[in-house]
Amino acid sequence: MVFDRLSLQLIRIISLLFILQLFPAEVLAHHVLGRPAYSLNEDSNTPPSMEVETQIGDYYVTYMVFPAFPRPGEKGRINVNASRIDNGNTFNGKMTFTVRDDGWFSDPHEEVIGTQEVYDGVFRQGFLFKQKGDYIITASFESGGEPYRIDFPLRIGKTSSMGPVGIALILILFILIVVNLLQRKRIVREKIRDSREA
Amino acid sequence: MSHPGLPAYWAYIVWAFMLLISIFYLFGNMPQNKPLKHFSLLNLPFVKSLAHFLSQSYWPLLLLKIITLSFFLLVIYAGLMGTPIPERNIATVLTWNIWWAGLIVSIFFLGSAWCAICPWDTLASWFVKPRFFNFKINNSLGLTVPRWLRNVWLALLMFIGLTWLELGVGVTTSPYWTALLSLLMVVLATMSLAIFKNKAFCHYMCPIGRTVGFYAQLAPIELRPIDADICASCSSLECFNGTADIDPCPTQLVMGRLTQNTYCTSCGNCLRSCPQENVFWRLRPQSSEAIHSARPHWDEAWFMLVLLALTSFHGITMMPFWEKWITQLAQKIGDSGQLLLSFSAGLIVSIALPVLMYIVVILLTDYFSKTRAGFKKLFTGLVFISLPLAFAYHLAHNLNHLIRESVGASQLFLNPLGVGEKPLQFTENILREYNMLISEDTLFALQALLMMFGFWIAIKVLRYRAYGLKLNSKLSLLPALLYIIAVSGFNLWLLTQPMLMRMGPLCVAP
Repeated sequence: MVFDRLSLQLIRIISLLFILQLFPAEVLAHHVLGRPAYSLNEDSNTPPSMEVETQIGDYYVTYMVFPAFPRPGEKGRINVNASRIDNGNTFNGKMTFTVRDDGWFSDPHEEVIGTQEVYDGVFRQGFLFKQKGDYIITASFESGGEPYRIDFPLRIGKTSSMGPVGIALILILFILIVVNLLQRKRIVREKIRDSREA
Repeated sequence: MSHPGLPAYWAYIVWAFMLLISIFYLFGNMPQNKPLKHFSLLNLPFVKSLAHFLSQSYWPLLLLKIITLSFFLLVIYAGLMGTPIPERNIATVLTWNIWWAGLIVSIFFLGSAWCAICPWDTLASWFVKPRFFNFKINNSLGLTVPRWLRNVWLALLMFIGLTWLELGVGVTTSPYWTALLSLLMVVLATMSLAIFKNKAFCHYMCPIGRTVGFYAQLAPIELRPIDADICASCSSLECFNGTADIDPCPTQLVMGRLTQNTYCTSCGNCLRSCPQENVFWRLRPQSSEAIHSARPHWDEAWFMLVLLALTSFHGITMMPFWEKWITQLAQKIGDSGQLLLSFSAGLIVSIALPVLMYIVVILLTDYFSKTRAGFKKLFTGLVFISLPLAFAYHLAHNLNHLIRESVGASQLFLNPLGVGEKPLQFTENILREYNMLISEDTLFALQALLMMFGFWIAIKVLRYRAYGLKLNSKLSLLPALLYIIAVSGFNLWLLTQPMLMRMGPLCVAP
């Protein structure tokens, strides 16, 4: 009797879960916030562009860098769109673009590239870098009395990235040397103890 | 666009199966412990000599290690020097689409075999304890692992951290970060080997090794003594102590007392060092270890439980609704940029919910049972039900990645750094869908079968573990049964939803 009730309950629960199963989740377009995505127009012979979509304060911000991998001496542009999360209205004030070197031990000094006004919902800023390297572009604007700063990395040219391997090897070498020194000390200590005991 | 989910008719079939098994569970007799049947690979006439050669000789293993190490070094080089476009760089494709997805599939057949050829450990061993023929150096302090570290808490934390990096920071879509993570694991493995004796990293810290280890309880293969009596009378314990030429067991297992695969790295040292040649591979009923012989421990119970939570979490983050939730949460708490704070909150909730559910289940079980075994005993004793549930969904989910996203991966070997390559185009992606490694119908059937398999094994685990815990009243086990149904049902629902690709043109902004 107990089992009958139990199995009846079980059938009810499974039926409920089964009904819930029939409702599929809403399918939306996918874009992972804050992560770069590389895109290319279909049938396009132009180089790819890099886009990042992010969220800051009251705004959704989308910025696009073209080309995605600019070389030194090559003209490029940044397109930024900032729209309010609550009503979708585009920010229509002024946006200032600055750049700083992001290399190790580099000068943190920022240089202004330009200040742009919105045109057709987009702030457009051209750039041309003479030297290869890793840079941080900052787009800043003010809204509702609050400052907004959006940093995004930009690599110019092909830079050497073997630094992490060097660091890993140095770390491993350091560990091995320290362990080796400690081992030697231990062996000497054991020898002294053995000779004393002898 | 995303991968299509499991069709509704397969979901109905799985649900019907679950219903039948549940009713069988409620009305069937409680199981009796019967002796398990094993089949030694030595009994296979054609395979015997080959298996013997592969196991006894050092060279086949070394060759496999060199092959995996070569791929690993390629991942690091391509990650650091290659294109940042993830689907065009071999570092991201090989690591996340092929290795990470394929690793779980390999456990289903080969148990913890991966650990034997793991490149992190190979490199660490070559750095700290290099050996060329008779030339040997041991540059390890060989300290005993402190008592507070002799558990899997650190591995659990690292596993949660790895998930955070993988799905929150987005290491899977960055070749550069994939390479950095690979380097970090080598440094950690080397550091551990240089400080502690044996392989403390593999034993206590490696999140991958522990995941493989727990899942290996469900594998159909094990390294065990051929004759238990020989081990019982052995006093030299070469498997544990090693010999002049062969290292001891890296995780300090004694073959004669071995009852579970969890910490076995399949390195075969015991097999080669045993003077009686009394150790060999044998086949066993799938999952028999999780059902019968694996011993419960507090830290391991938490690892298994969080493993279950994180496998479902992987699926949730690839659902289209996830981003909407995180965006809404970010707006509420003022999170910006990559929304890592919101993601972390989502991760914590996703771990906490199934864990809390399990705690409630254990409390109810304890309340309804006449024996009142106690919370901790029930918590650790019944936690094995989470293993097949996690494994089945993990396999079914990873099959999607492996079958759908690995198409065209061979072309990457022609240009592993992706020099001059452009992002994957929409049409190319559609073509890949048409050229899947197996047909979509077969994939769906496999996924459904896996979900049924996971549910069936979980029920078997519950029946046998309950018998061991002397929980004779079926009413007391009803909460655990409902837990199994709820988790399986939720994971099945996840499978029926469209799943976003890990990388590719779908990452492009709409």
